[in-house]
Amino acid sequence: MRPTVVAAVLAAGLASFSAVAAATPSPVGAWYMYGASAGALKSYAYARACDFARSQPGSGTRLLLLDFGAARKLDSSTWGAIDFSNTTFSNADILDALKGAADGYHNCHVRGGVDILYGNSNYHLSASGMSSTDAWYAGYRQAERAEDLANYQSAKGYDSQTADAASDMEPSWDGAALTKQLVNGDQGQGWALYYDFGSADGCPQSGSTDGLCNNGWHVSDVGYVSFHGLALPLPEIYYAANAYQWTLVRKLGSSYFFAGITASPGGGLAPTSAWSTLSSLNGNLVEPELVCFGC
Amino acid sequence: MLRLLTASGVCILATGGGLAVAATGVSIPALGLNVSAPPEKAAALQRLESVATTDSSPVPAGPPEPAPRPIPARMLGSGAPVPISPSILQVRNGWLVSNGRTLVAVYAGAAGNDPAVGRVVIVRQDLAAGSQTVRTIDAGQTGALTIAEAPLGSAVETSAQTDDLRLRGADGRALRLDLGTSSVGGR
Repeated sequence: MRPTVVAAVLAAGLASFSAVAAATPSPVGAWYMYGASAGALKSYAYARACDFARSQPGSGTRLLLLDFGAARKLDSSTWGAIDFSNTTFSNADILDALKGAADGYHNCHVRGGVDILYGNSNYHLSASGMSSTDAWYAGYRQAERAEDLANYQSAKGYDSQTADAASDMEPSWDGAALTKQLVNGDQGQGWALYYDFGSADGCPQSGSTDGLCNNGWHVSDVGYVSFHGLALPLPEIYYAANAYQWTLVRKLGSSYFFAGITASPGGGLAPTSAWSTLSSLNGNLVEPELVCFGC
Repeated sequence: MLRLLTASGVCILATGGGLAVAATGVSIPALGLNVSAPPEKAAALQRLESVATTDSSPVPAGPPEPAPRPIPARMLGSGAPVPISPSILQVRNGWLVSNGRTLVAVYAGAAGNDPAVGRVVIVRQDLAAGSQTVRTIDAGQTGALTIAEAPLGSAVETSAQTDDLRLRGADGRALRLDLGTSSVGGR
């Protein structure tokens, strides 16, 4: 092969690689919250948001996901979460921690903007005694707290920030009907986006029908909790199989697109490969967002 | 004003990690595709698009009082939420310790895609340095693993983070998780 041809082939290859590399987002860190006390929860949230701001890549608006654990009804009129240290926190405590995160991001802000997410999960809602109405209010109150945080950000002049809600909704963790109430409650409140950073575990990886997933869920149920109302999918893509499962969810939906993905080095795919895999299967209907636990 | 946009079909343009709202349908120019965004999401997406890259307030916020809170080493029962997806780990039980600066959580069970493979996932957080790692370790064909014995209490909040945990496979095999090396071996 003549040198000019070799150069042309290499150039074409590099151009192609550059296009892919430019489209693949850099990961941003997400955190599992192990608070143990309200003071510690706020202190950690402040520090994590400061870290996030200092290392934030690019100039766009990125998602800072703080996962406070499982949604819970704490008493007859109080909602909140039980965190990963097995400590319960009211939404007032969580809002205080989220305000700490807003302060931390502001104090350490370098570039770009942030959407701070109040994350929870559908882990064992019914086993904790929560009814369908309770789950609806859990989503509603969660969205209210996100709006409260946005009002705080606005009042403080934190123009590089906004706030939304998120939930790690996993078929194996509770039933579809109950989990949908989290999304419905958020929609009832009507303000906050509701990012689903959960899974489609047990769902089929191919086909064109509304197949069965774990725990009696169907593919359409995963589509509902990830795209109904104000929900947006930020799916966990840990293995190639997950990308195929979510591609089927997207194909059975209408106007469905992905807000990005959630990844972790603890899975079988490297985080950037996880994003590229889902993107390649979905005609690039994947926003350039890559939220990563453990990056 | 943003609410009015929900009734009018909007257009979201992704711009290097952000979204921009225009007049019709959803456009993602960086990726070269257009799709339609459901109108009920429009107001919130418009809000997201309007996030600035600088703050109007230059005044630093007062940081919260540092409140490091050690967590005595303890087993995590079935009521404690698990952060690890069932697609990675079918959890049997967990264990947690923190000295207020560094934290280690161990979750034991089986691989999400193969119940015959024993697996542990170790979450480590350095709360001072701001780092978090999630490490997955497979133990082979042991069946689901259970943490059978682990250091407990407030006297081991630092030392336990590099100590050993005793594991038991579904087949009854005894194993040892060395947190110092993040490895699983025979006891």
